[in-house]
Amino acid sequence: MSDDMGVIVKTMARATIPLIGIFGAYVVSHGHLTPGGGFQGGATIAGAGVLFLIAFGLSEMKKRYDKHLYSALEGVGGLVFLGAAMLGLGTAFFYNTLWHNGPVFNGDPGTLLSAGYLPIMNLAVGLKVFTGLVSAMVGIALYRRWKS
Amino acid sequence: MKRTLAFLSLLFVLGALLYISNPEYGLKFGLGGEDWKNLRYTDDYYITHGVEEVGGTNIVTDIVFDYRGYDTLGEATVLFTAIAGAVALLRPWRRDEE
Repeated sequence: MSDDMGVIVKTMARATIPLIGIFGAYVVSHGHLTPGGGFQGGATIAGAGVLFLIAFGLSEMKKRYDKHLYSALEGVGGLVFLGAAMLGLGTAFFYNTLWHNGPVFNGDPGTLLSAGYLPIMNLAVGLKVFTGLVSAMVGIALYRRWKS
Repeated sequence: MKRTLAFLSLLFVLGALLYISNPEYGLKFGLGGEDWKNLRYTDDYYITHGVEEVGGTNIVTDIVFDYRGYDTLGEATVLFTAIAGAVALLRPWRRDEE
C-alpha cells in the first residue's frame, strides 16, 4: 500500500513547498519589522514540512528526515535564545545591550540589521519551532500500533 | 419549528450582546476616557518608548522578546518539553516491532 498521494497533489506540493518556505523565512527574518515573528514563521515553515509529509508519504519523509539532526537543531535554537538573553547580563537578564551600543544590529529603526538581539532571537525561536513541529509530526506519523 | 425557534433565540442573544457591548449605553467595563489612561499607562508606555528602547518597529515583538522576555522563555520551555514528551511517547516500542 503506497502512502503517498496522487500526481496532482505531488505536483502542486512541489510547486508550493518552496514558496511556503520562502514566506516563512521572510516572516522570521523580518520579525522585528512586520507582523509575525519566530513562532509564527517557524510554524509556517513547519507547514511546508507537513505538506511534504502528507503529499509524498512517510517513506519518502523518512529518507530526508534525520532525527538526530533535528533534535540537535532544536536544542541549538533554545540555547541561542538563552545566549542572546544573557548578552546583557551585566545590566539584567533580557537586557537589550546590542541596541544603541553594540557592534552589529545597530542600524536605524526599520532597517533589517537593527533592534539588537531581536533578529537573533527570532531566528533561534523560528529554528526551534520549525524543527520541533516537524519532529512532532513525524513522531505522530510513525506511531502505528496496528499492522498494515 | 424547533430550528426556527433556535435561530430566533440565537438572533436574540446576538442582539443582546451587541446592545451590551455598545459603549454608549451598554455595560461599562471599568473606567473610561482619561481615568482609563491613568490606570493602564503601560499601553501608552510601550507605544511611545518601544522603538527607542528596544528598536523593533513591530511593537508586539518588542513586548514579547524584551519587556515580557521571561514569558517567552517559559513558552519556549513548554514547547520544548511538549515536543520531547511527544517524541518520547510516540516512538515505536520494542514489543510492537515483533
